[in-house]
Amino acid sequence: MKNEWLITFRSITFAQKAQWVLKRRNIACTLQRTPKTLTERGCGYCLRLSGRDAVSALTVLGQEKLKYEKLYAIGEDGDVEERAL
Amino acid sequence: MIYLDNGATSFRKPPEVYRAVNRAMQTCGNPGRGGYQVAMTAGNVVYRCREEVSALFDCDPEQVVFTSNCTHALNIAIRSLFRPGDRVVISGFEHNAVTRTLHLLGVETVVVGRKLFSWEDTLSSLEKELRRGVAGGVFTHMSNVFGYILPIEQMAALCRQYGVPFIVDAAQSAGCLPVQLKSWGASYIAMPGHKGLLGPQGTGILLCNEVPRPLMAGGTGSESRQQTMPEFLPERAEAGTLNVPGISGLAAGLRCIRARGTEEILCREQEAAGRCAGLLKRLGFRVFSGPHQGGTVSFVPNMDCEEMADRLGAEGIAVRAGLHCAPLAHESAGTLETGTVRVSFGHDANPRQIMALERAFSRIKC
Repeated sequence: MKNEWLITFRSITFAQKAQWVLKRRNIACTLQRTPKTLTERGCGYCLRLSGRDAVSALTVLGQEKLKYEKLYAIGEDGDVEERAL
Repeated sequence: MIYLDNGATSFRKPPEVYRAVNRAMQTCGNPGRGGYQVAMTAGNVVYRCREEVSALFDCDPEQVVFTSNCTHALNIAIRSLFRPGDRVVISGFEHNAVTRTLHLLGVETVVVGRKLFSWEDTLSSLEKELRRGVAGGVFTHMSNVFGYILPIEQMAALCRQYGVPFIVDAAQSAGCLPVQLKSWGASYIAMPGHKGLLGPQGTGILLCNEVPRPLMAGGTGSESRQQTMPEFLPERAEAGTLNVPGISGLAAGLRCIRARGTEEILCREQEAAGRCAGLLKRLGFRVFSGPHQGGTVSFVPNMDCEEMADRLGAEGIAVRAGLHCAPLAHESAGTLETGTVRVSFGHDANPRQIMALERAFSRIKC
């Protein structure tokens, strides 16, 4: 299992704010374009992070009242599956 | 050249601002569009500037909308808050960026507080109109002609008390006076990036406590399949490519201001304006000075105001004459026919500028 997760956001600004909040809490993540197949409305940015950090990351985002769109897990073969925590 | 037209734009920027613009030109692509390095670098530059703005102006980064100038920001705010036929209260010292926009929209304006440097007059006349009922207000924080600092905190409190939304034009105050979106409860606050914030021309900021109506529609790099502009800030009000080199420079300017503190900058500007007013009075001109004044002073010379500005220009002193795009302010002060010469000090105000002004006047022999 690749054990990476994607947290998608509606705009780059929300994704950037989340990235900086997580970085300040020492949760490593990478800002990147959201895969096209995951963007229903077309175009967006997401944070990619290790699966072991997913719960703490979402906890932090909740505490900071930062809304994200969806959560996806990336499988070993690269398949992406929507998840809920 | 002794540059004393900071009310128009700050001319001598800190060296960090020039470096930041140049660096961005060489390292930044288009933010929020691609996923490759120079696009992400640009995105980072823009977001860090939003953070600098939010730290200085009591707001969240996503409440920061970048515009091309303060006028652009005011147009978004005014067209978001008001509709044709609305009754809108404004101060007696508003700039054309406010009055022309309201006029174009077709609102009825009610002018309050026409006595220069009088907080009592401003507040009592404002409260009278708020009691009568208005759709909202638009208020300058500092007059660009006379440097009159309006009692904006008290005006904000009155508006909140009467449940009236309002917009603040912080064109002359951003960078030298406290400007606070959340604690004032303003719907919007507009400011240029290129005056007191020491950024390049082509930058402006709109702080948003509400989600505005889009003034322009276009690409935002997000939710591209939607044919409506995004419902969320800041993208809703940022169609098209941002001025990334400008925003990079603006961020550098903001860092300089935060490092120095707005109080130090205001103190320096006010001291210079006070000395300047004293000099002008000794020369026998009609000078507009009083309490609640920032780093700008206007005077009526003993000749045509444009001629005086020309003569000062020939002596290496840069000032602006005429109506300063603020005929309402001149009408309130009784200088609509004569205009004034405006001396506006900036972050680099110092006694040498006053000495140079004094030498220039002695050579003009007025």
